[in-house]
Amino acid sequence: MLRRGVAALLAAAVLTAGLASCSTSGGGDRLTIYSGRQEELITPLLEDFSDETGIGIDVRYGDSADLALLIDEEGDRSPADVFLSQSPGAVGFLDAGGRLEQLPVKALDQVEPRFRSGDGRWVGISGRVRVLVYNTDAVSPSDLPQSVFDLTDPRYEGDVAIAPTNASFQDFVTAMRELAGDDRTFAWLEGMEANRAPTYANNIAIVEAVGRGEIPFGLVNHYYNEEVLAEDPDAPSANYLFPNGDIGSLVLVTAAAVLDTAGDRQEDGARLVRFLLSRKAQEFYARETLEYPLAAGIEPVIEDLPSLSEIESPSLDLSSLGGQLIRTKDLIEQSGLEQG
Amino acid sequence: MVAAAFAGPLVYLVVRTAQEGGAPEVLRSETALGPLTRTLLLAATTAVACALLGTTLAWLVMRTDLPLRRLFRVLVALPLVIPSFVGALALIAAFARGGLLDELFGFDALPPVRGYWAAFATLTLLSYPYVYLPVAARLSALPPSLEETGRSLGRSPAQVFRSLVLPQATGAIAAGALLVFLYVISDFGAVSLLRYDTLTVRIESARLFDPPTALALGLLLAVVALVVVMSERGLSRRRVNTEAVAAGRRPLQAPLGVWKAPALALVVGVVGIALVAPVAVLAQWTLRGLGEDRAARGVEWSDLWQPLLNTGGIAVVTAVVAVAVVLPVAYLTTRHQSRVGAVANALVVAGFALPGLVIALAVVFWVLRAPLVGGLYQTFPLLVFAYVVHFGAQAMRASQVAVSGVPRRLGDAARSLGSGRWRRLRTVDLPLMLPGLGAGAGLVLLSTMKELPATLLLAPTGFDTLATRIWSATESAYFARAGLSALALVALSGVLTWLLTIRRLERLDA
Repeated sequence: MLRRGVAALLAAAVLTAGLASCSTSGGGDRLTIYSGRQEELITPLLEDFSDETGIGIDVRYGDSADLALLIDEEGDRSPADVFLSQSPGAVGFLDAGGRLEQLPVKALDQVEPRFRSGDGRWVGISGRVRVLVYNTDAVSPSDLPQSVFDLTDPRYEGDVAIAPTNASFQDFVTAMRELAGDDRTFAWLEGMEANRAPTYANNIAIVEAVGRGEIPFGLVNHYYNEEVLAEDPDAPSANYLFPNGDIGSLVLVTAAAVLDTAGDRQEDGARLVRFLLSRKAQEFYARETLEYPLAAGIEPVIEDLPSLSEIESPSLDLSSLGGQLIRTKDLIEQSGLEQG
Repeated sequence: MVAAAFAGPLVYLVVRTAQEGGAPEVLRSETALGPLTRTLLLAATTAVACALLGTTLAWLVMRTDLPLRRLFRVLVALPLVIPSFVGALALIAAFARGGLLDELFGFDALPPVRGYWAAFATLTLLSYPYVYLPVAARLSALPPSLEETGRSLGRSPAQVFRSLVLPQATGAIAAGALLVFLYVISDFGAVSLLRYDTLTVRIESARLFDPPTALALGLLLAVVALVVVMSERGLSRRRVNTEAVAAGRRPLQAPLGVWKAPALALVVGVVGIALVAPVAVLAQWTLRGLGEDRAARGVEWSDLWQPLLNTGGIAVVTAVVAVAVVLPVAYLTTRHQSRVGAVANALVVAGFALPGLVIALAVVFWVLRAPLVGGLYQTFPLLVFAYVVHFGAQAMRASQVAVSGVPRRLGDAARSLGSGRWRRLRTVDLPLMLPGLGAGAGLVLLSTMKELPATLLLAPTGFDTLATRIWSATESAYFARAGLSALALVALSGVLTWLLTIRRLERLDA
């Protein structure tokens, strides 16, 4: 007694879904891209690349870490040719697993050594700078600290939001260890815990909480508040960069790499990486995604953001420093911050 | 056969854990104990709360003279379609200090929306439909004579409900509560945003850099699920069920009398907090970004059609396939006491407790290793398969309730009249089971529509759904785009739930 309605619904469903899957089945010489960068932040560029070069592309979007795990699980049967990562951690994971191809020097040379891997297997394509986001109603500029290390001061007790389980915070802590050493980093983590820094899931949750006035300060990437202001110019939140090359405002990169499963398409993959470092692409990051361009001498367009040369940044070479991130995670866990 | 497919993720976890090693240390250490305790506490309390709330709502909208009950039948089911990370973000934005309520009405003494209570409340509000739908299906199939008898003995509606209706619904309530329990232990979105440190939070944070820990904790999750499923199975054996009725008289609608206003307030309150508040926040996101720069923020209606069709299409296909696949297992486990049936049941049901990422990676592992099926990788059929493995539990428990409501003597009578097995199934059993199967299909439908990790990893390239759209836009802080897609998801789920499920429960109430 299956009603006709359900039968019709089902038929329609199969039809639309079938059409959808047929129209996109890739293969042959098309370039398959696994992108940890979200559609909003890369699709127009990838379409331009395809139009300009005539190379067909298939793109799978997802979380950077999940896609890295997927590529790992797929092994040598992975359909992926190029991996775009939102954080150095995920691309470093694949590098440590020996899954990345050497990139051409022409691509690598476009960016400073601190924004690419030491072994030449991945390259930063855009940058996000760590900032202190603050509520402009609750905080007067004179209350802003000179250094991220000042945040363990009792006057900031309970006032600074952090996201200890989030990749961007973990990458930041790894960089801090490299620049300031494990002891000083651990002392800072313990200081934040002693100062009862409330924890949040991720950057967005922090920026929203600061905008609501739930908490005055938060340690995040600059990107999120810029996007919030783009949609809601009246939001009472602002980004603050720690001055004088303070470690609190280092640059984290989003990265591109060609995978060992690319085979014949390795050349095309490298061509895409070079395209993502071209003037056109770098301008797109500056204007459309409000990030730091890393190549071609393009400056960021957001007011109040200093140019790259004014910002200190270590090269987070996760490939040559295998096991760094697990050690970072241990330190964060030992400090007690994760439970917060 | 069916059981073997459903065992895939579990075997995958065992194989990978063995490869990585380190499981014994992880499980002995305190890393596991705290999160495990919190996971169990949250899952158990949420399951109980959902059982109470879902049953009350089902009875109010199905068997009383509650005003606007036909509208509420659909609305009450919809919170299930809201992805938990969106639900949590939206509830925080609505109820936290400085949130929407604070802005509109000036509530500023609100407690912080985080920790156990926030996770408990949020997950209860998002997952009570796991109880509501099966119980509503069961109630719609109960004969009106039950209540008539009670009423004629002079009992109040509440007494009739407690002493006569409730015992008939225990099977459905237990089925739903089990689904809630399994869902809560698998959830990551809500607990991470609300800062409640459970096993899934640990798995997520260890997955890339500390695989031995992530895999061992995943296995622990699976073991918990299996233990819970088997003990629930033991308990549910003892229940007796009154037979379902297929057609005929409409069920008696218990008059609520003076309780009408409070009952209405309860239903409106639940719908208000679980559905209207999140929808209001999503609408606020959408409107905020609808400035002059719509295209730049990706807020275009025309852009919504493809994900809308994809979402609806794959969800309907998955719902129907899931019910069709598990129905034989449901028959086997309900009609016969076999060990094979019990194992199959446990495997199917436990699959729901694993995080979607584990299901997806397990499917990758098996498909790329198995002969012949490699060509199916990242195609539509494989994605449906993954969904069915993940959500089969929902169809399973609802189907078992439906099968147990079919009186055997009807089948016997039909057989004595010479009708064959298929004919009996089609003309006798199916019509009686339809409400229950519809409920199972409805649950699978709503779960599939919001599924994220498996969709991202296994969908055909370029196949985006509303859920993936919402996720992507939220991750890039394109709130207007996320809000618009989420509103479309809620609207679509309303239409499909009515078509697939609620309409079938209403045949007695036309």
